[in-house]
Amino acid sequence: MADEAFDAVIIGSGAGGAPVAHALVRAGKRVLVLEKGPLFHAQHTSADGLSDFKRDEEFATGAEKVLRVQGVANTGVSFYSSHVEPDLNDEPHVYRDSDGRDKATIEGYTAQVVGGGTQLYGGVSLRFAPDDFRLRTVNRDRDDLRADPNGDVAREARDWPFGYDDLEPWYCRAEELIGINGTRDGQLKPASVDNYQQPLAPNSISAHVAAGMDALGYRRYRTPLAVITEDHAPSGRTVPADRESIKTAFVNRYGDPLGWKSNTWVSLLHPVSAEPGFSLRANCSVTHLSATGPRVTAVHYRDPLGRERTVSGTVVVVACSAIESVRLLQLSAERDAAFADRINGNDLLGRYFLTHCFGGASARVPGRHDKSRTLDSDWATDACAAPEFVRANNLWAGGAIYNNTSDSALPISMARTWAANDMDTMWKGYLYDLDMRGDGFDGYLTENFGRQLSVAFMANQVPLPTNRITLHPAVRDKWNRPVANIDKGWHGHDRAVMDVLAEQCRRILAAGGDGVQVIGHGHVGNDVRRIANHVLGGARFGTDPDDSVLDPDCRAWRFDNLYVTDGSFMPTSGGANPTLTIQANAFRVGDLLTTRV
Amino acid sequence: MPVVQVARDDQYVLNHTTRFLARDTGEVSEPFHLPVVDTHWDGTSAETSYRFNDVTFVHRDDQAGEVGVVGTFGDLHTPVPLRRVRFLDEPTGLWALTVRVGKGQVHRYRFTVDGRSVLDPVNPQRLRSDNGQEWSRFFTHGCAVPISFDRWELRLLERLVTQVLPFQLAENRRFLADFYHGLSRAERDRRFPLAFLMDESVGVVNFIDKLVAREERHNLDDYKTCLLLIDGVLRARFPGREPAELGRQAFMDLYDELAANNVPGWDTGRYGEPRHFLVLLRRHAMTGAFAHPKHGGNQGAAAWAYLAERFAFDWRAAIEAPLGRNTDYRG
Repeated sequence: MADEAFDAVIIGSGAGGAPVAHALVRAGKRVLVLEKGPLFHAQHTSADGLSDFKRDEEFATGAEKVLRVQGVANTGVSFYSSHVEPDLNDEPHVYRDSDGRDKATIEGYTAQVVGGGTQLYGGVSLRFAPDDFRLRTVNRDRDDLRADPNGDVAREARDWPFGYDDLEPWYCRAEELIGINGTRDGQLKPASVDNYQQPLAPNSISAHVAAGMDALGYRRYRTPLAVITEDHAPSGRTVPADRESIKTAFVNRYGDPLGWKSNTWVSLLHPVSAEPGFSLRANCSVTHLSATGPRVTAVHYRDPLGRERTVSGTVVVVACSAIESVRLLQLSAERDAAFADRINGNDLLGRYFLTHCFGGASARVPGRHDKSRTLDSDWATDACAAPEFVRANNLWAGGAIYNNTSDSALPISMARTWAANDMDTMWKGYLYDLDMRGDGFDGYLTENFGRQLSVAFMANQVPLPTNRITLHPAVRDKWNRPVANIDKGWHGHDRAVMDVLAEQCRRILAAGGDGVQVIGHGHVGNDVRRIANHVLGGARFGTDPDDSVLDPDCRAWRFDNLYVTDGSFMPTSGGANPTLTIQANAFRVGDLLTTRV
Repeated sequence: MPVVQVARDDQYVLNHTTRFLARDTGEVSEPFHLPVVDTHWDGTSAETSYRFNDVTFVHRDDQAGEVGVVGTFGDLHTPVPLRRVRFLDEPTGLWALTVRVGKGQVHRYRFTVDGRSVLDPVNPQRLRSDNGQEWSRFFTHGCAVPISFDRWELRLLERLVTQVLPFQLAENRRFLADFYHGLSRAERDRRFPLAFLMDESVGVVNFIDKLVAREERHNLDDYKTCLLLIDGVLRARFPGREPAELGRQAFMDLYDELAANNVPGWDTGRYGEPRHFLVLLRRHAMTGAFAHPKHGGNQGAAAWAYLAERFAFDWRAAIEAPLGRNTDYRG
């Protein structure tokens, strides 16, 4: 017997967990949200009027820390992490590098805090394109795909159990309740309701991106961003009289002390926090689940000081980010053969781990722009997600392209990401450019400060069974549990997708006006050191119990009351940043659950 | 002096400590987070709040009947009691107290556990008082009291970081001088409440002094060793001269030698890779110059003002008043 019982126990408070909690509490249910990280407040939700997030570059990527994890090849290296990222020494993820050695790693936007990754993200809130939901169907008879001699893509592509039109109302719901600004016109993603708030004026540097997209004939729209620009009735948040002050370079990788960034704490959980059915326990790590037959009967967690406690829920919702959710299920299975048989009888749990094909181009623009007043992105285009583009380029799927306005906006972040493209090489470009000193330093600032502009793409990765999350045989976390072990590689066709889309990003910048100097373009295809920004898959849903871990309702096939609603449910990773789709799906599941508890 | 207590709830204490403390294996992680030094807000005014920090002492003891703290932030002889921190209406074994402390200060403290005086077992910062007693130590934001380095080390470090930063350029030196010295005393105090000294390193040396006292204690030995080696190298090269008072060229040459990882006269037996020290110094100089002034560098936000003056960077819009001009954000 568990210590306490709730209608629903939700593990994780980010994009996958919070919408479910919101829906159930609004329906009058008794909900407990367990969150591993702290409850860091915005000023308006805080009892003392202060936020735990600061506009301080030392909070995004602070002092040097040293990896002390034993049994990996990068023990002793420096790392730099945000104040809400997992402590790499206490809970590393391990991956196998191309040299065959195991190394500890961290993902780009995994945050241990109430709100999860939505506290750190830039807020890009794109929908997936209609074809992203039917990639098996649209690729069924293709024999023209680049770098796919064995037909892997057609074999491994999967349709979602439902199409764009079925998820569409939930996209609308998410856009309404989360609080998103942007524009619809020019999107490839039809909307039945336009719930966007008005975007603020773009940063002047983004005019080069607008010009480049126009020159290529790419229809553009204002990037939907989870930042409120108007008073937001569903969450009770208000904006300042001077709306321009909402724009700040302390956006991507910063929690927002003023709560305008629509993280799931300020947008979804805080608004229901006074409801009698809502309980939130921060600083509580779930260690495993236990079950009796098809019912999860207890959620075992450590309270803030590490004491073991249990709760039960009529339903249990796992939503602690794809890698950790899979790991939690595997840890539960490790303790109980019957649990293992139910959750992983088909050997699919942890397989088809996905990230995104990701990359872009960067340029130096001729004029200088004040990037201290910006949001994460200004312009986006779906031109390269259009079926015609995808076909013409012999690709299986397309992707979204948008500019990054906030990168290199702040002086320390510009230096530490100088000539770097992943977290392991952070700082090294600047530090080892030893001529950058004195007047050389002044020259570097003159040449680059307020002049850097980048364009990024986000596209589907081919699902592969060999891309997989397992439990590491040796490395353990601070609770003495095996940590997640990640096998991840790219399919040849992924590299083709990335080559094509990186080239489009380069072309946009090259066409961005006189004097725009493209300084680089590329993608993550040759580098697995930073495992991912977006972690998805590993517990995919589907209509066939032999081919999926979850049913179309995101319930584990052979359990009555176990659901998984973070990005791990995705059978394909979509041609856009995943957060809005995770939220929309979680609202869908949350609504379903109101009738099941 | 009277201790001003501040209401910070149990959730705050748990949020800022348990991640580091709670575990089955390994040692407390990132112990430098304790005690917690945070922004102070008096509920009304940024101007009046800005002079203070909130400092939260936390002690873990399941068995204790009462826990207090004494220190130079208050009356050294009267412990201020910590309260029991609860979770789900049960005691957690954590004790906590939040007090208001002025910015720019260094203090020593000890806990009293059932009348017994103990050091803070988590905080690695220690100091010895004049009578030889060991104390735990903390410092608040914008602290300019030297902690890690002696005066000769600070002066030598000053010359070294000047090589890294852009402020040695004549026009930038002029900017810094005009920027700060052009202001009236009252204006200076209003706009740069934490500035104490304007120089070509905009306080980077002070930033490093604080960083290696707390977050990057693991790099303190590198500084101690390398500054001693550099002092020796320069004294051998320029007999009878004080290294910190040598001309600019001496330090430009030294920089080049460190960069080449080949410093004539360097004892590689004591420190193998002189370039490693230069790389460390570069990261600290860059960070210290441009980080928020509360970390001890970028004094008076001089480096941000330089960016605003030379380039385009409206840093004041986002940063809390009275340092910046944002009155929504309280820091």
